[in-house]
Amino acid sequence: LLWKESWELGKNPMASRGSPLHGPRIKLIEKTHSLFAETKEHTFESKAAEEHARLLRIQHELEVSTKQTIFVDSSVSDTIRTCIALGNHRAAMKVRSEFKVSEKRWYWLKAFALATKRDWDALEKF
Amino acid sequence: MAQIPNLDNAPLNLASLREQSQKDLLNILRNIRGNKCLIVDQKLSGSLSLIIKTSILKEYGVELRHLSSEPVQTECPKVVYLIRSQLNLVKLISAHIQNDISKGTQREYSVYFVPRRTVACEKIFEEEKVHHLLTIGEYPLYMIPLDEDVLSFELDLAYRDYLVDGDTSALWHIAKSIHKLEYSFGVIPNVRAKGKASARISEILTRMQVEEPVSTSDVGIPEINTLILLDREVDMVTPMCFQLTYEGLMDEILRVNNGSVELDASIMGNQQQEGKKTKVPLNSTDKLFKETRDLNFEVVVQVLRQKATDMRQDYKEIQTANQSVSELKDFVKKLNSLPEVTRHINLAQHLTTFTSKPSFSGKLDMEHTIVEGESYDICFEYIEEMIHKQEPIVNVLRLLVLFSVTNSGLPKKQFDYIRREFLHSYGFEHIATLCNLEKAGLFKKQEVKGNWLMIKRALNLIVEDTDTTNPNDIAYVFSGYAPLSIRLVQHAVRSGWDAFLMEYKILKIPATENIDPSTPVVRPIEEILKLLPGPHSEIKRGGYSSTPSFDTLPGAPASIDKVADGRRSLVLVVFVGGVTFAEISALRYLSAQEGMAYDLIVGTTKMVNGHSILETFLETNV
Repeated sequence: LLWKESWELGKNPMASRGSPLHGPRIKLIEKTHSLFAETKEHTFESKAAEEHARLLRIQHELEVSTKQTIFVDSSVSDTIRTCIALGNHRAAMKVRSEFKVSEKRWYWLKAFALATKRDWDALEKF
Repeated sequence: MAQIPNLDNAPLNLASLREQSQKDLLNILRNIRGNKCLIVDQKLSGSLSLIIKTSILKEYGVELRHLSSEPVQTECPKVVYLIRSQLNLVKLISAHIQNDISKGTQREYSVYFVPRRTVACEKIFEEEKVHHLLTIGEYPLYMIPLDEDVLSFELDLAYRDYLVDGDTSALWHIAKSIHKLEYSFGVIPNVRAKGKASARISEILTRMQVEEPVSTSDVGIPEINTLILLDREVDMVTPMCFQLTYEGLMDEILRVNNGSVELDASIMGNQQQEGKKTKVPLNSTDKLFKETRDLNFEVVVQVLRQKATDMRQDYKEIQTANQSVSELKDFVKKLNSLPEVTRHINLAQHLTTFTSKPSFSGKLDMEHTIVEGESYDICFEYIEEMIHKQEPIVNVLRLLVLFSVTNSGLPKKQFDYIRREFLHSYGFEHIATLCNLEKAGLFKKQEVKGNWLMIKRALNLIVEDTDTTNPNDIAYVFSGYAPLSIRLVQHAVRSGWDAFLMEYKILKIPATENIDPSTPVVRPIEEILKLLPGPHSEIKRGGYSSTPSFDTLPGAPASIDKVADGRRSLVLVVFVGGVTFAEISALRYLSAQEGMAYDLIVGTTKMVNGHSILETFLETNV
């Protein structure tokens, strides 16, 4: 079983590097998630895979709604930053709550994003 | 200036090794008549440049190319490939040939594997149906002298291959290289190993000696007295620390590659060539560099300033007074060193633009705090913040690994927390990277309480008040932290021999053997060795491997230590998994000490620093 696990793990990054076909990729990652879930010692990996799948879904939605292909394959933090930089605070908050981003990280990200946007007023306010 | 280092002052005749490699290569080329196109894989070409000048190759009618996915454009009817035995390279070649076939070009192909052919590679040629078109050979290049006292086996991935993928072929390679050395310089009588990989190598070495013995009569007295094999795994703390010697700092910031750095020509004061890259060779042929490379960078700046003012002084004198001819001669001689001085002033100036940043000293402080290992929470928060700020991934990993190693892992809750934050900040694809690091034991869950504090104290790794100008301890290379690996070597060479030997006796010899009861059985160094990962072993080898040679112990070391012509005897220290420049500096410092009975030379799988080691673990670039 462990063998299968490590093999599946090898597939995971390969899949992320691969094609922009989101459907099969998300499915594959979800399969990884369930495979990891079968053993006890891989709970962390399983959770990570699950989050990864969720992230891809959200990013996909964001791309559709903003019509900009800049979300997929960026990390959770990057996604939040892009959202804030685009002025889409609602989406940012949503991602934040979805992944339970800690207070500390949230403020770092927000500060960074606002600074890149040179939105000093907003920076002042929060 | 020649990029190939001058090896005349080497304690061992390394020049002969290089000549041999040169000859081997030229023989290969000579056997292929006429003009030919030599296609070298990128990584190898750097190593080759340390062995042979391109001008010599041209004399042999060679057109030099790099291997890439582009099809070969050449008029030559003969194509010679020189590659490492890697599957992706073999596939590239196959693609080239198939491309030629489809175009109807006819050529003669030969492929030379460095250092040896492998079944897997040939299998691919067969699968691609090009095997019958090829002449396959080997170019046995096992090691390259990087400098007077440094040999490299050029195995970039050895450490990763072994720890993550369990691939042990690199170990064979290292053993083979050492065995080749023994052909030229005699069987090394003492072999000491620490760490799993090192122990394996010493086993393989013994087996090789049985299978293809080096006859003692041919080579006379062995020139190398002792071989110390050390796994990188034993000391992962040192490479994660930022090196502060001149050469080390240069490597951290500019990346030293095959004994030279590449940087913008404008930095070297060459204004006309804006944007162009120049290569600056760095080896001990450059006298000023030889003098300064091992010094702490702070001191280097002072030395250079001194040189410059001296020079100005001399210049003034020459202008004011009438000089005798001999004095003029001296002056001109001094002028000759001017280009060296300007070169290093330029380099040093470039480096200070990095070291003067506040973030730089902040990071150094944190490193020290982690190594001291006494304020866990502060370190943890610092790293957490780094991740949140999404600082460059390798920088974060370095501190993280340092942190994990010194604490022998993180408690589960924090381990999971950090991993999650890490994935969120850098992307989920890095789970493979984390997994690699975990497999290698570099970043892991805490299982047992750490013993770093004990190791640190016992080996006196943190030295307060280090004087960087007049160093009195190897700790100067990191401004206060003495590299663990070198401490081990220091102990092993200076006082620990007996401890090592004693222990070997106890382990391998049945109780019937007569052990002097008054000898202290357990010595501190041995206890410390046990705290570090991996087994350690000690083998004595005579000319005939069949004779049990440890019964001659008491007399043997004394007689071998003094080589007849009064030279100091040689110790070869091999780092399995790479060595940093700072560690080499520390070794040079040791061997320059008074009362040191040995010259030290270094063998390594590759020159590394924290960045290059960790990059091999990053899954995304592979």
